[in-house]
Amino acid sequence: MKLAQGLKVIAKDWIEKPKGFRVKYQKRVDSKLVTKYSPGLDDNTLDSDVTTWRYAWKLFMASKSESREIVTGELVNITVVDDSDRQVDYYVSGKPEIFNEKR
Amino acid sequence: MNEQVSKLQEMGKLMQTHGLELIIALIVLVVGLFITKWAVKNSKILLAKIIKNAATISIISNSIGIILLAIVLITAAMEIGAKPGPLIAFIMIVVLCAIGVIVIFRPLIPTLPFKVGNTVKTGDLLGKIEATTLLNTRLKAFDGKTFFVPNRKILDDVVINYQFTKTRRIKVDVSIRYDQDLVKAKQVLEAIMTADPRILTKPAPQVYVLKLTSNGVEIGGRCWVNNAKYWVAKCELLEKAKFGFDNEKIKFAYPQLDVHHYKNEESAGLDTKELFLETQENQA
Repeated sequence: MKLAQGLKVIAKDWIEKPKGFRVKYQKRVDSKLVTKYSPGLDDNTLDSDVTTWRYAWKLFMASKSESREIVTGELVNITVVDDSDRQVDYYVSGKPEIFNEKR
Repeated sequence: MNEQVSKLQEMGKLMQTHGLELIIALIVLVVGLFITKWAVKNSKILLAKIIKNAATISIISNSIGIILLAIVLITAAMEIGAKPGPLIAFIMIVVLCAIGVIVIFRPLIPTLPFKVGNTVKTGDLLGKIEATTLLNTRLKAFDGKTFFVPNRKILDDVVINYQFTKTRRIKVDVSIRYDQDLVKAKQVLEAIMTADPRILTKPAPQVYVLKLTSNGVEIGGRCWVNNAKYWVAKCELLEKAKFGFDNEKIKFAYPQLDVHHYKNEESAGLDTKELFLETQENQA
């Protein structure tokens, strides 16, 4: 294998480089949990996971409730996904993270 | 009052007789100016693929612009009834003079090494260029202060234009303790840079051992990013490096001093001063 080919293999398979990030969350609409994204699937993604996680945390802080049940307007199961909808590890802990996890 | 009325009547007659020609001339002028601007812009892009010298590109594209401008002016003037012979002769003289000035004197005319909107450091000032005039340049620092810097001072000083090139290199330097896994630290840092969507794949991120200092091993990550994203990407990479090392239990180096306490029979009974002198001798 030539060096250039080797470098291509590394670039393709060593570390996945997402094109962008979105916040994925759920919301109760007519007694059903509906999955939504911010920015929306038709909009451009954010290019920073740090910024996206911060945005997710602020959404959680802004909409959280003390109730065990999911309140109207509350955003639950907030996490960060990449452009292919794969969950992104929280850069602080290095593990998957979900804010305001409720079922 | 009567004079003004008669002037208006004259203008009305003029518009009746030559109104259409005037409107056509105006349209020719406006459309021609747009086409000229478009042609100059695109000729610069096209020439950049063939010619590497920026000054030559500028001279050729500006000359094209002047010739097109002359054609537009002649066409517009002919639409309102100007005689083509003397008009063409006059404009051609002006065009040739303008091109001559550009070709001969352009390299000698000092120009400011930045454009409006560029982030620039000149002397002790760092900020964004807001406007340039013949005499001074308006620079807005990042704390909101506005500086009016004389152009001659800028031309005499060293200027760093952070947006002259499209990309910039980010340095992520960290120090780890000597007893830590150096290879693992390099892998973590390289993975953090490689996984970030803003970091360019070519040139690829690299990690080097920079120094063996008295406190630890200094490793440096080097990667490239688009200019506009430089600052935030740099800060966030540092943040991710901190957490990435913490998650992998790699400990950062910090200033430290090893204190050796000697406790033996010979030392027993010595006062503090003697013990200190003995320790100094041992260390020597």
